[in-house]
Amino acid sequence: MPHTRDVPDDPPPFLRSWRRVYIATLIYLVLIITTAWIFTRFYR
Amino acid sequence: MTNLDWVVLVLALVSIVAYGLYRSRGSNTVDRYLLAGKSMPWYAMALSIMATQASAITFISTTGQSYVDGMRFVQFYFGLPLAMVIICATVVPMFHHARVYTAYEYLEKRFDTKTRALGSIIFLCQRGLSAGLTIYAPALVLSVILGWPERTTTILMGATVVTYTVLGGIKAVTWSDVQQMAIIFVGLVISLVTVIVLLPSSVSFGDAVFLAGAAGRLNAVTTNFDWNDRFNLWSGLIGGTFLFLSYFGCDQSQVQRYLTGKSIAQSRLSLLFNAVAKIPMQFFILFIGAMVFVFYLFVQPPLLFQQAELKRIAALSEFAPMNDQYQRAFNARKQAALALVDAHHAGDSAGEERRRAEYRAAQRELDAARSSASKLVSETGGEKGFNDTNYIFLSFVTKYLPSGVVGLVIAVIFAATMSASSGEINSLATVSVIDIYQRHFKRGASDHHYLWASRWLTLFWGVYAVVFAGWAKRLGSLIVAVNKVGSLFYGSLLGCFVLAILFPRVRGTAVFTGMLAGEAAIFATAWFTDISWLWYNVIGCAVVMIVALVITYASPETTYATPGTQAQE
Repeated sequence: MPHTRDVPDDPPPFLRSWRRVYIATLIYLVLIITTAWIFTRFYR
Repeated sequence: MTNLDWVVLVLALVSIVAYGLYRSRGSNTVDRYLLAGKSMPWYAMALSIMATQASAITFISTTGQSYVDGMRFVQFYFGLPLAMVIICATVVPMFHHARVYTAYEYLEKRFDTKTRALGSIIFLCQRGLSAGLTIYAPALVLSVILGWPERTTTILMGATVVTYTVLGGIKAVTWSDVQQMAIIFVGLVISLVTVIVLLPSSVSFGDAVFLAGAAGRLNAVTTNFDWNDRFNLWSGLIGGTFLFLSYFGCDQSQVQRYLTGKSIAQSRLSLLFNAVAKIPMQFFILFIGAMVFVFYLFVQPPLLFQQAELKRIAALSEFAPMNDQYQRAFNARKQAALALVDAHHAGDSAGEERRRAEYRAAQRELDAARSSASKLVSETGGEKGFNDTNYIFLSFVTKYLPSGVVGLVIAVIFAATMSASSGEINSLATVSVIDIYQRHFKRGASDHHYLWASRWLTLFWGVYAVVFAGWAKRLGSLIVAVNKVGSLFYGSLLGCFVLAILFPRVRGTAVFTGMLAGEAAIFATAWFTDISWLWYNVIGCAVVMIVALVITYASPETTYATPGTQAQE
């Protein structure tokens, strides 16, 4: 059974580095939790 | 179901299967059948990952859970972006560079044969159990709507999924998933719009949201810490992160999706898309459940949503007083809800507080009547711990949604089942062939031989899932059951992979012992304590790591191992 080939490790198509993409994802998480918390408080 | 509903349903299902099979042409080698020849673009993998995770259970059970318990289940997904970032930075490049078909193949490269075998067996046990649950949910839908026995509908669903999964391999699975997610998105939007349109003309969308919030159905975030509380911010962030690390890092049903990527970047993008999209999607589904709750403030819901059990207990003497209490509570809640909206519009804060208290008291009375009815079902020969949460959304759809939309929503549920189930069956077959059959029973056979072995094992797991689905109805709320079953096994696998990546000195025997200890600790926790299942992953992972590290550092230092190479025992 032939082994699968190796694949290239390219930079992301935006924000220039993967480190920045990861940080942006974590900032997004903080924002979404904050929004959900405000939503809960507002309609409680 | 009207004729139009049937046309919509059949068209949707036929187009999904046909499109998947059309895109899977040329899957005539093991590499193409199991990994799509590493040719998939990020968006196809992203939607396939999302579709595999969003089973029919997501739509049936999550909406019902929101109806009875509010939106706090969304916190379960708060750990997902954290887990995705960690996986993208570590596991994705590691698996690609190791050139593996399965996550457990890597364990042999890093540790030894027995660790790979144990990892594979743990996966087969865990995913094999949930495969039955995945098929059971839509079988339940059909049995409610058509009045067919659940066994018949289970076999029909299983046969459809197995057909295109066996014939097309992972390409058919992935491209079908893409189309299924499109149908799911359309169906969800139409469902929410329809619920809102069906509200009384005197109740605006803003009023509906206000009433849902006043009844505690918009409790998306709860910040209090409680070990026994399944869903709060902390269990979501900590327990959820561990669960999703295990799920996306160690579960072949997900790992196989991103191993089909053209490049590491494409695989990472597919996971990060899920990190961003999953929480809003779950929020949206839960919000539909909250709006169904508001709809039933003005239209009396049945005492129980499971019609067969309701009919059975209606003949009992205890039913009449229970039903009277329920009707009184419904009328009181309806009046209080309308009065609360009026007080809110008038800006009368004292009146609003008083009406809010009446509204909540009526809700408690209503819940008490429903609880008594459920108890009556259990005490009079019905299912033990009877729970009708899974019937709430379906009952609403079939009774109140217009012709055509019912067919579309049922197609959504079918599409979700087919995507989740095909992914599970495909990954179970892959692990069975690569990690068990090829590794331990038949080494060095031809590519053609393993291709057919993959197809036969896909068929085997499909049949197994159908048989196991018959047992699934005893497990209560389905969405919880699936994750609970997963949590019994994921922690040990996660601990194993964390040790593989972060601790080069740890070797196979130490990890193997740690995994056995981890499983024992998880089952002991589940059996003897009330600790919520979201924490099982944390406990299992911690025990595996502690035991393996103690064994490693207590024994004389020998050869170091590095990721991607096998340690010398």
